Amino acid sequence: MNPLKNIKLSWSRVGLHAALLALVVWSVLPFAWTIQTSIKFTRDVAAKKPVLWGYETTANAYKAFWLDGDVNMWSFLLYILVATGICVALGQIGKRVRYGWPFFTAIIVVILGAIWRVPSIWEVQAEWQYLKNSIVVTVLTMAISLAIGLLAGYGLARYTGISGAVILIVALGFRALPRTAFVLPYFFGANRIDDWLESSGVGAWDFPLINFPWIDTLQILDTRLAIVLALVAVNQPFTIWMFRSFFMEVPKEIEEAAMMDGATRLEAFRKVIVPMMWPAIVATGLFTLLLAYNEYLFVRVLAPTQWTLPVAIVSLTGGESSRTITEAAAASVSITLPIVVVIILFQKHLVKGLGAGAVKG
Amino acid sequence: MNKRTFWGFTVPSVAVMLLLMVFPLITTIWLGFQKLLLRDLNNPEWVGLANYRELLSDPAFWAAFRFTMLFTAIVVPVTMVFGLGAALLLDRVGRGRSIYLAAMLLPFIVTPVVGSLVYKDLFERGGLLSWAWETVTNDAFAVNSGNVKYLIIIQSIWAIMPFAMITFFAGLQSLPGDRVEAAQIDGANFWRNLWHVTLPHLRVLILFVGLITIMDAYRVYDQVVVWAGNRFIDAHSLQVYNVRIATAFDIGRVGKGNAMAVLTVIGIFVVLIPFLWRSYKDQIAERT
Repeated sequence: MNPLKNIKLSWSRVGLHAALLALVVWSVLPFAWTIQTSIKFTRDVAAKKPVLWGYETTANAYKAFWLDGDVNMWSFLLYILVATGICVALGQIGKRVRYGWPFFTAIIVVILGAIWRVPSIWEVQAEWQYLKNSIVVTVLTMAISLAIGLLAGYGLARYTGISGAVILIVALGFRALPRTAFVLPYFFGANRIDDWLESSGVGAWDFPLINFPWIDTLQILDTRLAIVLALVAVNQPFTIWMFRSFFMEVPKEIEEAAMMDGATRLEAFRKVIVPMMWPAIVATGLFTLLLAYNEYLFVRVLAPTQWTLPVAIVSLTGGESSRTITEAAAASVSITLPIVVVIILFQKHLVKGLGAGAVKG
Repeated sequence: MNKRTFWGFTVPSVAVMLLLMVFPLITTIWLGFQKLLLRDLNNPEWVGLANYRELLSDPAFWAAFRFTMLFTAIVVPVTMVFGLGAALLLDRVGRGRSIYLAAMLLPFIVTPVVGSLVYKDLFERGGLLSWAWETVTNDAFAVNSGNVKYLIIIQSIWAIMPFAMITFFAGLQSLPGDRVEAAQIDGANFWRNLWHVTLPHLRVLILFVGLITIMDAYRVYDQVVVWAGNRFIDAHSLQVYNVRIATAFDIGRVGKGNAMAVLTVIGIFVVLIPFLWRSYKDQIAERT
């Protein structure tokens, strides 16, 4: 073996890793800086020359953003740690046993339960409500969007008529349209419906299932429902294309065999095809999650008070004082943390999903 | 699958799209011909093309148009070239790939308004990069109406590039190794290999990423709102201009805003129609 060749090889490896590290720095530098800002005291943030190390750390900004009054941070931290510990334990068990899904469902229940319990234990800021709104909007959007998209994607993958092609192309066109083409008519339409609900008195009716105790009148504007509907609609084109490309890879002989054995098409779909589609559902679900969790414009226009977290953070940074700088940094870190957990857990699905959607689309 | 079953499966999705996409789009076109104010939404008044005439003679519209074009013209090519470069690097690395990947994905999946906020903090007073600039040039740095457009562009490249990277990377994974080897045996160097083997393999993906990036650049909103807000109106994009004229407190002109939305829709369709037509042909060909 030629020793010179080896040296050359390792130099190119060094260069490769150096280039990748440079890209990593370019990608995460703003976040690193924000994390620093979020744990500094105001005097260090206001310093003209950035204080890069040796500063005193504090969780005051996080406390100010989320909690109200004199809260014992240690008890709150303990609460979060216990909840996280339970989730990690459930996840580890779920990964090891044959039927993991009850454990994964339990994780969701624990997370939601923990978040919903907080306001009854500690005094919280309005932001806690925005966090809950974010969760409600994200979960509902994912559930509706994936359910109807899965059905349509299957139909579009198996049907060979022209109307299928027309639906796909029209959806593709809609995928390209800017949000403003929808948000203004939504606002106008919702406003019309609300006017009618109010003037006809229907809005004040007591619908046993819809009128929860905390809603006095039925309305569309300024509700989480309005955001969910808008997001489901704009997400449909992407969802059906994505699911269709995944269904195209499932040979139709599989459900034909099941139907030969006497199953109806719907049974074959539900019992044979859907269980094979979990990777596709996870991948599409991830993109839907990001879409709903990250949405800004729809919430801003359609829900003047029922904010989600992105709107809350932008409104917080209206001011210029150093106090809001640390608080905005703490808010940014808090809202980004769940997303970081999601990519770490589901990175492979995300890559696979983009690959699949792209190659076919 | 017969027609009945097909409609059974697709009807919920199609109903949502008809009710919440087709119908609103028709409403948008209709409202574009009306004089309609935000504070008085119940009295639209037909004014024909007046909204359009007003828009096309508004200097702010043309400023937004120019900025959006500049933005698209810079962001799309830079994103694609650097995205491809990053994907090639990532494809060659073995150990540590998933860590690199996760770190580089972060700007793409973070909430856009939050991504813009954290990026902006680097350039604010007391921020890391504004301080670095001051140390190097001995000149104070501030975000102003002159540089804010370029800062938006740089930050958007930061935010969009991971999408191109990850899509190209997924494509490279399916590149057959023997073709690369065959080219290497023939004595092809890296660039010839890239030009004759890799790029042809990625052709469809390059078109796909190009289209998605053009669409997303054209409708840029969140980044501009955070960077420019009400301070730098000159740096508003078409979308921000559109929302501003339609929903500004007390002076919101909903009719004019809808006319503006129609103009943006026409703008993107001019670019898209050849592509949609080709996809339609593909779909029909697949069926016969």
